[in-house]
Order: sequence, then structure tokens, then C-alpha cells
Amino acid sequence: MPHEIAIQGVLVPGLLPIFLGCLLLMALVDVLIGRYGLYRYVWHPPLFRLALFACLFGLAGLLLLN
Amino acid sequence: MASAATKTGPAARRWPLLAEAFAGEGRAWLFVFKTVLALYLAAWLAMWLRLEQPATAMITVGIVMHPHSGMVRAKSFYRAIGTLCGSAFGLALLCAFPQQRVLFLLCMSLWVGLCAGGATLYRNFQAYGFVLAGYTAAIVALPAIGNPLGVFDSALMRVSEVMLGLLVAGTVSDLVFPERLRLVLRQGAREHFAHFIDFVRGSTGGSIPRAAMEQAHLRFVRAAVQLEDQRASVIFEDPEIRARSTRMRLLNQHNMAAATSFQSLHHLINRLQRERRDAEVAALIALYRPIGAALTTSPADLHDPAVLAPRLRACAQQLPALQAKLRTDLAPGRAQLAFDTGATVLKRFLDELCGYVEVELALRGRVQRGGVERVHFRRGNDATGALVAVLRSFLTMSTLSVFWIASGWTYGASAMLLATIFSGLFAATANPLASAFTMLGGYAAGMLAGLFAAFVLLPGSDGFAMLVAATLPLLLIGPWLAAHARHAGIGGGYALGIVYILALKNPMVYDPTHAFNDAIAQVAGVALAAVAFVFVPRVTGSGWQRRRQFRRLREQVVEAACAPLDGLSWRFESESRDLFHQAIVHTRPDSRESRELLAWALAVHESGRALIELRQQLRASAAPPEVREAVERAVQAVAQLYRGPDAVRRQQAEDAVREAIGVCAAAPALRPRLYQLLGALRDDESPLASWMPAGEPAHAA
Repeated sequence: MPHEIAIQGVLVPGLLPIFLGCLLLMALVDVLIGRYGLYRYVWHPPLFRLALFACLFGLAGLLLLN
Repeated sequence: MASAATKTGPAARRWPLLAEAFAGEGRAWLFVFKTVLALYLAAWLAMWLRLEQPATAMITVGIVMHPHSGMVRAKSFYRAIGTLCGSAFGLALLCAFPQQRVLFLLCMSLWVGLCAGGATLYRNFQAYGFVLAGYTAAIVALPAIGNPLGVFDSALMRVSEVMLGLLVAGTVSDLVFPERLRLVLRQGAREHFAHFIDFVRGSTGGSIPRAAMEQAHLRFVRAAVQLEDQRASVIFEDPEIRARSTRMRLLNQHNMAAATSFQSLHHLINRLQRERRDAEVAALIALYRPIGAALTTSPADLHDPAVLAPRLRACAQQLPALQAKLRTDLAPGRAQLAFDTGATVLKRFLDELCGYVEVELALRGRVQRGGVERVHFRRGNDATGALVAVLRSFLTMSTLSVFWIASGWTYGASAMLLATIFSGLFAATANPLASAFTMLGGYAAGMLAGLFAAFVLLPGSDGFAMLVAATLPLLLIGPWLAAHARHAGIGGGYALGIVYILALKNPMVYDPTHAFNDAIAQVAGVALAAVAFVFVPRVTGSGWQRRRQFRRLREQVVEAACAPLDGLSWRFESESRDLFHQAIVHTRPDSRESRELLAWALAVHESGRALIELRQQLRASAAPPEVREAVERAVQAVAQLYRGPDAVRRQQAEDAVREAIGVCAAAPALRPRLYQLLGALRDDESPLASWMPAGEPAHAA
């Protein structure tokens, strides 16, 4: 994937679509976890969600942009 | 206990002032700490990312922060949408009229007006999203008006800054000692469940006085609207609540439906009792008693749906046999018809109560299984009120525009910006003039503090740590005031004012002339937004709007009679409650107006519900055409009565319903509903009673 994408002559960083994609993926994971009540097994759910998102985003960014 | 007392004792003596400042204010200080942390984090990140105006990110944080993290998330979500829409519009506008200032300002005023109008049509933070869409367009386009080629960069920067602020505010409030709105919601819902069950159990003895019924209705409506309001915010905070969202809506609807049937039943029993028809009253109370018995369990599980649900189901199965037995003891004709009516309503109530308890049981389960019916809580909105808001904002903006063009004021853009923000923010408040002046005071104080910090404290400091040290004491005041409900308005204004005039930048720009000119323009903008409310007065909570809402509440019955039947009962229950709630919060408790409103609300609920059920029954039954026609005539006559109540129409409605009851002798399923409708029309405690012919004994049928 290119580091910068040109949309109608405007340069957009390649990380932006990856970020949005990760947000979507995170929402999906959230729905699943919420439905089965799995957050009860986590000490600090918001921290867990942030960490999970950081992992997802980091992994996707490294894999897709390198 | 004793050791704790000896520990705090000396500390309190050594720091009496400090101990006093922190006593019982843990929550307020926690909020202050979180806000300040988010403010500096946003400023630091914005400087690190080389954004043009870190101040915009800081203002965003200041506006969005709230003690409950669900509120922050909800506000952020709608603010993000509003920002994107607003900046897109601002961009498009400047591209369309780069050299046409009259057309540009006209369109801008119209857009801001439309957004302010949209804000009055929505509750919660959806309204806020509209306000944002309005003023972000102004934020993006106005500063770039002298340099149209730079508008794209300007828009990009503003959007990045706002988004950064939102991310920081959301993350900080979610991670650092989060205060969960979910707990408030859950506790409120459980309390309401317990109340409702207690109320139903406590009234199996028979009749409830009308006044007690009105108070209960008021409480139930408040609980229903509050549950919906909180649900709309909490879904942003908690994935578990999001998974339960549809079910919570269904729970609310079942509860409202059960409350309406319950009221109808008691109105009927009360009427029979006033007419001294003791045999029917005794039979109905006997039929009702098993429900009370089913709800009376061991004290530990009085409010446990897992225990209550099977007992209620068993009770529902035994009901038909008991009904048949009680019916044979009554005289045929009038007495049996009254009993059948009561039994029909009772059966319906029991069904709804079972549904309510079962949904509550499912909600308390760990895992949410299967789908449920999707229902919506429909709000009663007032389009004319929104038009007034559009007009007011449009006038404010165009007045300022004309003044700006005529005077060639260099700082006109600042004044317009602030006027936009505040005319949107105040449009939906109950007392905008007072809150505008409170906020103006806070804003001016914040600006003075900001000027002091910017030109006395900051020039001697170096580095981010020194910046924090120099501004922290002054910045603390805003969130601290905002955390106390009494000073929330001043605090909000202060927090905005100080951040706006500080205009932190990297490297910092010191320009006193610019700062003072800007300050004057901003205060003028806020003041003009306040003055606009003098000329085009507020709508929310005014007598004019209350009268309109009152009429719309009555017209809910017309809707029940004419609207398409699919999903009508859900719509009717929620919309009539929302209208009632909107109107009642602005009346004084126990005033003549509030009593009248309550009385009409109960009448509307009873008649509207009876009409909907009658129509549903009619659609399902295979009645001959002449029966259909007679029932349809009765339905329309009742609708006419509620459209404009007077003595003639009441009599016509009564005659039409009586005639339909006569025609329906062959269709026994329809008769109880018609009889209930007749009872509601002839109820001598309902507001319709004032149009009843005097001297006539108040017997029904």
C-alpha cells in the first residue's frame, strides 16, 4: 500500500484509511464482546479496548505500509 | 473508625483551609483534574503535531468534558459529525462565493439559522451536533474570507484540531478514574421497576383516588423519558449496554403500555364504584386479586424478575377460568358488559406486565440471545418552534453581517463567530436571556484572566512545564465552577473565554492590540446573541408553546383514530408521553395549568388506547359492513371531539358510540372496547365532564 494516496489531487496519508478501517473492525469486535458479556473478565474495560485498538492499528499499519 | 478519626484529626488542624476545600468535593476535584489533564495533553499533542491553533483543540476539550464518560463520548460523536458537515459546507460556500460577500454572508446566516432550528427539534447531544454543524462552517470559512485560496488548509487544520481534542477528551475521561453513567442508568431502571411492581401490588385493594393516579402517572412518565434520554448517551460508553439497547427500548415500551392499561382499568373500577354498582366492582377486584398474590413473594425476591415472571404466567393461565366463574354470578346485560370490559383491559394489562417482567429478566442476564422487536421512542416535536429559532439566528447573523459590511470592522469575523456559537447554544435552553448574561459574565472574567496570563505570566516562562505552571491556577477555576451545578453557566463561559483569549501557539505570539480588539469583538458577539432573545423571544417553555403542545397532546387521539395501524400503539404511547413531559416541566407543580394538563393527559391515554384497540379488533374481526360502518363513525366522532372539544361534539360522540354498541350486539369482541370508550366519554372526573349536560345522572350505558 502506498504511503500517500492522492484523492482528486489531495494527498492523504495512507495511515488514515487504515485508521478508519481499524475503527470499524474495533466496533465489530465491541459488538461481539458486548453481546457475550466478555468484558466482565477484564479489569479495566476502556483500557483494554484502547490497548486492543493500539495492537490492531499497529499491526495493520506495520503489515500494510511496510 | 477511631483510628481513621485520629489520623485525619491532626492533618485537618495543620491544613484547615485545604481540608475544607477538599471536604466532600472529591468528585468535583476529580473532574477538574481530568479536564485540566485533557486540556494540556491536547495542547501538547497539537503543538507536537504542528497544528496551526492548539487553542481550537483546547476549546473542544473544554466544551466536551463532562463528569460522566458516556456523556463525553456521546457529545464527541455528534460533535464529530457536526464538525465534518459544517466544515464541508463552509468549504463549499467559500468556493461558491469567493468574491461575493453579500451572498456569502446571506447563505452563511441561513445555514446557521437552519442548524439552530434543527437543534431545537432534537434532544440530548443530537441537538448539539446541529449547533456544531452551524458554527464549524463559520469557524472554517470566516477567518479565511480575506484569503480564499487558503480556505482548504484552514478547513483541514480546524477539522484536525477538533478531532484531536475529541480523541483526547474521550480517552482521558474513559481511562482515568471513569465515572460510569451506566451505573446511574441501571440503578434508575431497577428503581423504576421496583416502584412499578410495588404500585401494582399495592393497589389490588380496589380503587385509587384520581389525585394519586395523576401523581403516579407523572412519576412514570418522568422515568420513561429519563430512561430513554440516558440510554441514548450510555450506548456510546458501554458495549454491553449497546448490545442491550433494542431490548431496553422494548422494556420502556412494555412499561408504558402496561401503565396505560393499568390506568384504564382503574378508571373503569372507579367509575363503577361512583355509580354504586358494587357487584361488578367486587367481581373485578376478585379477578384482579390473583395478580397481587402473584406479585407477593418472600421479601428477598419481591423485585426479582426471575421469580415474578413464572408466577405471572401461571396467573395469566388461570385467568379465563376465574373470569368465566365470576361472570356467571352477575346479572346478564349491563352488569356482564361492564365486567367483560374490565376483564378485557385486565387481560391486556397482565399480558403487558408479563412482557415487561420478561424483558427485564432478559436484560439482567449475562448474554443477550436472539433478536427482539425493534421499537422506537418517538418524540413529539414542534416545527413552528424550530421556525422561530431559525428566524432568530438568521436575524442575528444578518444584522451582524450588515454592520460588518457597513463599518468595515476588522474584527467583525470574531464577533460573528461568537454570536453564531451562542445563539445556537442558547436556542434550546428554558431561560436563554438569564443564562446568556450569566455566561457573558463568565466569559468576560475568563478573558480578563486570559489577558493577565498571556501578558504578565507567560512572557517570563520557557518550555511546556513553565507554560503549565503559569496557566494552571487560572485554568482550574473554569472546570471547578462547572462541576458545581449552581455556577455551571459561569464556569462554562469562563473556560471558553480564557482558552480563547490565551490562544496558545508554538511559538507564542504576543500582540496586545490584536488580543484586546478580539476580546471586545467577542464580547460584542455574545451580547448580540443575548439581545436577539429580547426581540425574538424564546420558544421553549413559553406559554405559547405550552398551549401548542397541549393541543397536540389532545390531537394524539385524532392520530390514534386516523393514522395507519402498524406500530401505532408504540408511537402513541411514546409520543403522547414525550409531549406531556415537555409541557409539564415548564409548569409550576400544583398550579391550575399543570392540573389541567395532567387531567387531559390521563383522558388522552384512556381514549387513545381504547380507539387503537378497537381499530385493531375491527381489522382482525369478520364483522358485517353495517357494523364496520357504525364503529368507524364512532371512531371518527371521538376524533372530532378531541380535535375541538365542546358540548355538541361530546354529545355527538356519545350518541355515535351508543349506536355502535347497539349495532354490535352480534359482535361481542368489539363491545367491551366500545363500552370502555363510552365510559371515558362519560367519566365525571375527566376534563370532558365540564361539557356534560348538567343534572343528568352519570351512569354509563
